[in-house]
Amino acid sequence: MATARALLVASLVLSCFLFPCYGTVLFSSLQRTLEVTASPTSQQVLKAGVDKITVTWGVNQTLPAGTDSSYKTIKVKLCYARISQVDRPWRKTVDLLKKDRTCQHKVAARPYNPANRTSQSLDWTVARDVPTATYFIRAYAYDADDKEVAFGQTTDANKTTNLFQVQAISGRHATIDICSICFSVFSVVSLFGFFYNEKRKAH
Amino acid sequence: MEVEGQATTVKESQPPKFALPVDSENKATVFRLFSVAAPHMRAFHLSWVSFFACFVSTFAAPPLLPIIRDNLNLTASDIGNAGIASVSGAVFARVAMGTACDLFGPRLASASLILLTAPAVYFTSIASSSTSFLLVRFFTGFSLSTFVSTQFWMSSMFSAPVVGTANGVAGGWGNLGGGATQLIMPLVFALILNIGAVKFTAWRIAFFIPALFQTLSAFAVLIFGKDLPDGNFRRLQKAGDKTKDKVSNVFFHGITNYRGWILALTYGYCFGVELTIDNIVAEYFYDRFDLKLHTAGMIAASFGLANIVSRPAGGMLSDAVAKRFGMRGRLWALWTVQTLGGVFCIILGRVGSLGASIVVMIVFSIFVQAACGLTFGVVPFVSRR
Repeated sequence: MATARALLVASLVLSCFLFPCYGTVLFSSLQRTLEVTASPTSQQVLKAGVDKITVTWGVNQTLPAGTDSSYKTIKVKLCYARISQVDRPWRKTVDLLKKDRTCQHKVAARPYNPANRTSQSLDWTVARDVPTATYFIRAYAYDADDKEVAFGQTTDANKTTNLFQVQAISGRHATIDICSICFSVFSVVSLFGFFYNEKRKAH
Repeated sequence: MEVEGQATTVKESQPPKFALPVDSENKATVFRLFSVAAPHMRAFHLSWVSFFACFVSTFAAPPLLPIIRDNLNLTASDIGNAGIASVSGAVFARVAMGTACDLFGPRLASASLILLTAPAVYFTSIASSSTSFLLVRFFTGFSLSTFVSTQFWMSSMFSAPVVGTANGVAGGWGNLGGGATQLIMPLVFALILNIGAVKFTAWRIAFFIPALFQTLSAFAVLIFGKDLPDGNFRRLQKAGDKTKDKVSNVFFHGITNYRGWILALTYGYCFGVELTIDNIVAEYFYDRFDLKLHTAGMIAASFGLANIVSRPAGGMLSDAVAKRFGMRGRLWALWTVQTLGGVFCIILGRVGSLGASIVVMIVFSIFVQAACGLTFGVVPFVSRR
């Protein structure tokens, strides 16, 4: 009787610890255990839709074994440098990862096997919806609950070194330009056409 | 209420026949919403649809801003300035439109303005920087002055007992465009994206929809519309049937009336607020609650769509309190509703959950739009001249 009650209370208390698990991870609580390198050199300008980035990532080999035992997935993302966040609150860096908007472009998501510690790499063509800005690459390690547990990035802790730029596509096509101008001219000309017609009818 | 009016004015040519009962000036004495009979109801439908088109164009950019800001590399300041530009052009354009209506008639004045601002909407498709974006939004915003031609046209077509309703519904349903566009643009964008365009091209193509709508509605006004029940301005002026007002006199009397200035201030804080919210609400929900573009658009749309009832309701409330308390009642009702609108605006900024934000936003929209309707319950009484 008493043990059954104790068990119930214990499980209730323990279950309360489950709630904070989702959506409350802070970036400052993550350890930088991943080594991430990317092919763009510092200040290099890449063209969206054309140029490729080669990203290589892996766990820092100097760390003790077992550090990466909980890692299940690695997600690599393209992140905005500080200069591209100025006066743009939709790219703000916030410690609470759920609300953080620094890394908005997915590069890759790969499963991770702690037994196989070799680094993985990937060639990624810069997507055509990536805006003109200055970037760095960051990789997050997720556990089985899809919660961030570690990270690594191509730049330093202050996000000042080894940044590269992307030149976005304009999205304009000659066809759109021509249609715009034609329709505009048509609108104005047809207005004067109507005026002329009115004048003609009035006489 | 149907009132059988006097028949027709005698002219050398045939006496005109009307589908609706008319008074001695051939203005309709009833307002039949679902009729398109020429010239009265046809004028009503042409004017509210063309005004609606102008609102759709002016606020077509805000729901797509999350895409546009990345394509054109805009900062928050750029977006804010473009928003201000989009509604500030209308200030002077509206005054000019009043004069144009007096001189050329509402049909030509509104159609001219709509066709002359349509290029600005077409050129939005080829904007490539924050400057060009600001300029296209500025010139597109001039089209909001069709409000004046709408009201002028309704006042020419409908007699005193129904002119308030005609004006209120035409104005309110035109304002709907600001809400409808927040639904339409993300849908059109998604459609074009599906066909295979990339994001930075799809939004550009999407802008052809409001632009074409604007162009076609102007054509409809020119082809099917008539300035007055008896005909168009030019022909009537030539025949000596229409008097010409001395523009400078009217203008002078207008600007020296202090009541006009006070109402301008209060209207700035209800209609001005409505336009500001139209400009920012989609982005606000997209960024704050991490929603998809079309979800944010749907929520944003419900702000503007409330206009379908809230602005007319404000007008009706004004008439109802006037019956009991006269002008005092109208003014107190305006003050109360607008103040409550302000309170809910403050609350909207403070709530943190999505559900509560949506509810507060809808309540806020009803109050702020009703305040606009209440303002126009007072405006006709500012000057009898």
